[in-house]
Amino acid sequence: MSASTGTQLAVRTQEVWKIYPQEPNPVKAVRGLSLAIESGDFVAMAGPSGSGKTTVLNLLGGLTRPSDGSIWIGGDEITEMPDKALARLRLERIGFVFQAYNLLPVLSAIENAEFTLLLRGVPANERHRKVREIFDQMGLEGLEDRFPGKLSGGQQQRVAVARAVVGEPVLVLADEPTANLDSVASSALLDVMERLNREKGTTFVFSTHDPLVMERARRLITLVDGQISEDVRRNHGTSGA
Amino acid sequence: MRFAILLKLAARSVGRNTRRSALTAAAMVVGLALLIFSRSLAEGAHEQWIESAVRMGSGHVAIQAPDYLQSGKLEYRIEAPAYQRTLYAVEAVASDRVVAHAPRLAVTGLASSASSALPVRIEGVDPDRERAFSDLDEKVEDGRYLKPDDRLHAYIGVELARRLGLKVGSRFVLTAQSSTGDVEGQLVRVAGIFRTAIPEMDEGLIHIPIETAREWLGTPGAVTTHAVLLRTSRDTDGVVAQLQAELAGDPDLRVLGWRRAAPELDSALRMDDYGDYVFHSILFAIVALAILNAVMMSVLGRRREFGILQAMGLTGAETGWVVFGEGIFLTAASGGGGIVLGFLFTWAFFRDGIDFSGLVQNEGSWASAGGIVDPVIVPAFHISQVMLSLYFILIIGTLASIYPAVRASKLDVAEAMKFYQ
Repeated sequence: MSASTGTQLAVRTQEVWKIYPQEPNPVKAVRGLSLAIESGDFVAMAGPSGSGKTTVLNLLGGLTRPSDGSIWIGGDEITEMPDKALARLRLERIGFVFQAYNLLPVLSAIENAEFTLLLRGVPANERHRKVREIFDQMGLEGLEDRFPGKLSGGQQQRVAVARAVVGEPVLVLADEPTANLDSVASSALLDVMERLNREKGTTFVFSTHDPLVMERARRLITLVDGQISEDVRRNHGTSGA
Repeated sequence: MRFAILLKLAARSVGRNTRRSALTAAAMVVGLALLIFSRSLAEGAHEQWIESAVRMGSGHVAIQAPDYLQSGKLEYRIEAPAYQRTLYAVEAVASDRVVAHAPRLAVTGLASSASSALPVRIEGVDPDRERAFSDLDEKVEDGRYLKPDDRLHAYIGVELARRLGLKVGSRFVLTAQSSTGDVEGQLVRVAGIFRTAIPEMDEGLIHIPIETAREWLGTPGAVTTHAVLLRTSRDTDGVVAQLQAELAGDPDLRVLGWRRAAPELDSALRMDDYGDYVFHSILFAIVALAILNAVMMSVLGRRREFGILQAMGLTGAETGWVVFGEGIFLTAASGGGGIVLGFLFTWAFFRDGIDFSGLVQNEGSWASAGGIVDPVIVPAFHISQVMLSLYFILIIGTLASIYPAVRASKLDVAEAMKFYQ
């Protein structure tokens, strides 16, 4: 295990358990997970199906609460945080990218991307400028007014990433973001995320089965049965901001 | 600001999911249209019923002596000077809303022929005014209605004629207590025989000229009722209030609306209304369940979408508001659609009335509580009724949206994100 202690941490967990009360045998999805992820890191969590990757992402994003243990996002403990405050924290500090794109079907590409800014009350001019900028960076020019149903899988996932990062969160949690993409689209998406990580210092945490993602991660955590079985830091010659 | 965003999202969701929205709205639109159609039919039938009953009876507004309604006795009559005051008041106050008004001098008595004697209600009427007021003159079975120069003529019901063995031209004797308290007789001749389909009228009503009645009963210039017929029953309360104000302080007079003057008609209408309310309650319940089902299915099918909203920073309550907003928008749009469809449907197909004569057995009309409902019912729209229906459908739509909204607000986000559509 190679959790750093000297730099600012984006995420920290201490002895986190997640047990689903299923009869007759409760499911222990996460077992005593202690983890520290530095700000600006680019981390992949791998492991077989059922190893607890998605559950860990949900716990880190405050989408589900741990059965035991504590979780901090930045300096704030979210374990017992009230729902409203947790929603606020997600809005302002966490971005999500999901396997199935998960764009809101009733909003256009640009409306999806700017939705979190809209919720934050960012003025329209600034909102549009930021979204246009990120769309330009991600090669989404000309697709602004298309609805999700009129976009390819790769385009939808890029819009999802744009939505996740446009508010400049400290942490982006991406659950199998390349699972539904071909290798070209996967590589292009990772290029975008690496660039955002490099240029803006955004911390990325992926759950993945994709060797391409594992290969490009600077830190690879392998989960087995809800526990860390391996935690490897690699140097690709890139660094967080 | 955030609330406006939630509403915008709800509106967008309704607008973009046209098929889902249309299916949900269809229940409300059809429900409201049916409600409007049903209410307009009921209103039309009631209007006819009231119109018929007040024409046969004492009008939309009846001016009587204070105790006449309870006793029905001649001693509680309006004498000539007071009757003149009621004439002035009716002309002064409500001439624009009055179709006709007529004096009546009514007593209960006995009709005797060579073969039998039966209790009857004898009404002295002004033939000209009565023609404009009542449609009894149109119900002639044999002979004719009274004429202004008739003196000793009578217009009697068909059943009474049969029981007394009378024909047009037959003579018979009316007996009643006069103003002096003595029992007086009056010989009259049958001018005409009517058939109304209202048993109590066909069996026991006799019209004679009012001057004959006044002379016979010793009540010159008097009436027992000054009956006023209005353009519409909805003017009743206003005209009653105005006449009461105009005649205030006159201890010899009392102004009554038809609900008080004809309590049996009022009761019958209320009973009919209760039946309608039961029917409408069932209709509302069906509409409410349809809305609940449609909105609920929509929520269950969109758990992932609501999960995304919460992952992006909406609270559970805000997600619930989005669903609730969708329900409200759908309800509002459906309300408008339902009114338009209800009007168009009723107007396009039934503006000339719906003929129920196939359901009528004998007389070609329904008779009840002193009135006759024509089997051809013409729907009547009252804006107040339409607004009431709209109000109820909005309430139901709102209530039916609450449960799905609560369900959406209590979503387990992590579980919802696993949900693949």
